[in-house]
Amino acid sequence: MSILSLRNVSKSFGKTEIIRGVNLDIQAGERHAIIGPNGAGKSTLFHLISGKYQLSSGRITFRDQEIQNHPPYEIARLGLARSFQVTNIFPRLSVFENVRCGMLWKQGLGYSFRHLLGRQTELNARAMHLLEEISLSDRANFPAGELAYAQQRALELGVAIASGADLIMLDEPVAGMSLSEAEAAVSLIRKITEGKTLVMVEHDMNIVFDVADRISVLVYGEIIASDSPQAIRANPKVQEAYLGEAILTDAGGEDA
Amino acid sequence: MGKFAPWVGYLIALLGLPQLFDSVLAITIFNQMAIAIVFALSYNMLLGQGGMLSFGHAVYFGLGGFMAVHALILIEFETVYFSITLIPLVGGLIGLIAAIFVGSFSTHKAGTVFAMISLGIGELVAASSLIFVSFFGGEAGVSADRTFGPPFFGIEFFQDVEIYYLSAGWVFASTVFMYLFTQTPAGSMANAVRDNPERAEFIGYSARRVRFISFCSSGFFAGVAGGLFALNYEFITEENLNAVTSGRVLLMAYIGGLGYFIGPIIGAVVLTLMNSLLSNYTELWMLYLGIMFVLTVLFLPRGFAGFIMMHQTAWLSGRLSSLVLPYLITGIPAIMFGGSILAAIEMLHHGGESFGFLFVTLDSGNALHWFALTSVGAASHFACRLSLGQLTSAWEEANQSEDTTERGPS
Repeated sequence: MSILSLRNVSKSFGKTEIIRGVNLDIQAGERHAIIGPNGAGKSTLFHLISGKYQLSSGRITFRDQEIQNHPPYEIARLGLARSFQVTNIFPRLSVFENVRCGMLWKQGLGYSFRHLLGRQTELNARAMHLLEEISLSDRANFPAGELAYAQQRALELGVAIASGADLIMLDEPVAGMSLSEAEAAVSLIRKITEGKTLVMVEHDMNIVFDVADRISVLVYGEIIASDSPQAIRANPKVQEAYLGEAILTDAGGEDA
Repeated sequence: MGKFAPWVGYLIALLGLPQLFDSVLAITIFNQMAIAIVFALSYNMLLGQGGMLSFGHAVYFGLGGFMAVHALILIEFETVYFSITLIPLVGGLIGLIAAIFVGSFSTHKAGTVFAMISLGIGELVAASSLIFVSFFGGEAGVSADRTFGPPFFGIEFFQDVEIYYLSAGWVFASTVFMYLFTQTPAGSMANAVRDNPERAEFIGYSARRVRFISFCSSGFFAGVAGGLFALNYEFITEENLNAVTSGRVLLMAYIGGLGYFIGPIIGAVVLTLMNSLLSNYTELWMLYLGIMFVLTVLFLPRGFAGFIMMHQTAWLSGRLSSLVLPYLITGIPAIMFGGSILAAIEMLHHGGESFGFLFVTLDSGNALHWFALTSVGAASHFACRLSLGQLTSAWEEANQSEDTTERGPS
């Protein structure tokens, strides 16, 4: 069954229609990639789902609950977490505090000013464990803003998954990384999304075809195909959209 | 146990100071410090921890203070039977109520919008305080007598030192609670929202609600400070809730260091001392305060506390002592240079008449004095620049060597 579904979702900025009637179903447990040329509206689509932007029209349901135009914090509380294309962490908080903040709501602590975080032994242990998973435990007490770029990207992921959300949306998680850093990031993504649903936007086709169970192609605000990697590669419409760029005919070798 | 050491030291300092300095002036200053510490810490909850720049924080201080004076009047005329030791709580509750009301619309955004609303509310309340004379007493303010309440274990608070010990108790409790607030989920998220309100929303928190909680807590403690003011002075006027008071608490928190919990305490102590002591020596102390603020913003953006914390690395590696001599070599000419600038300002200010400055008598009509002053200024400036290199290299050595020694074994 689908955990997230979009029905006729549209978004206009002024007279420009960026998203034009998108229909999309994400199945629970799948790893779904959204690809498309620059300016196709991939990030906008993420912003619509996660509540950053308001829809112009349409409907988004997450676990049979309508979430369109809800504020981001309500959507996040339902178990939909996301990361950002441009690193979006808490720069003056320590690395440890960054991931712990990501865990607070799910822990049921809410806006409490009666609980002392130092006494939340189980929470602190889980935050340390998560830092180990993303290989940042030796940086736990550093201000997050002082981390190297790849480490900040890892922390970006860490903050997103900290809540233990069932649906994780990653916006270009390996953008700007070196090859080895990207490889490490991909295996990290595989590990931390185990048993969860993943939706990701990514330009690197190696990674997309490597990670995704299903791929949707977004072109000029419309989904022109949504299928398995093999079918997408063979799809003439997709090939046309990419103007014969080698990426789809030879998913192995090209870097988009 | 090391965790509690600073707190024990703080408590000892609070209680011990009047034993060391027991003059009337000293007790007056300590009382002012007590008020300033709570007020500045409450301001730091907004700006340092919550990222909300307020130009109208005196509103909560002043409203709390006014209500506290009115509560004292009620006690005085035996309308209510109430120990005056709890007066700061009255101030706090009024501060909290005012903050709930204002915060309900002002915490929607931080940044410029919040700052402008705080300025507007500040002006509005200050103007209203002159209009609604029955409550605010117009320009004369309202006054009360604190000694009519039921005695507290036999103490009737005739003396300032008795009020000081009462204030010290409130200061300590307020400091503890404000510190504990920073350790709670609400306090931690306040920092997160300060850093990045957008991301906070995507991890389940409404930035507005987080700001609102900080704002209300801050208003409460500002009101407590206002209550301490009412107890100490037994009167309050419009001046205590207008922009001047709002500006002063901003200066205290900033000069002390916003990024550190202890910063506003340092700022409150330093500014109170300047206010009380410097004003005895010179009419220009407000000018010097302004200069100090500008210099702090330019050269010590993290305040006095930040300056102290800069030495942590050298301290931990045991190399702090290697900095003493370089500091003296550069510091003495620097102080002399600053002193000659101050002397020049004072000479211009005194125009014609002679006056005492530190250990000498200066006269702006005397050309020789100007010549000597210029020479000292120029020479010390030159010496200062010349010796800056040795301080920089000593600083680098003290900090760098720590890095290599730590990396070596691991």
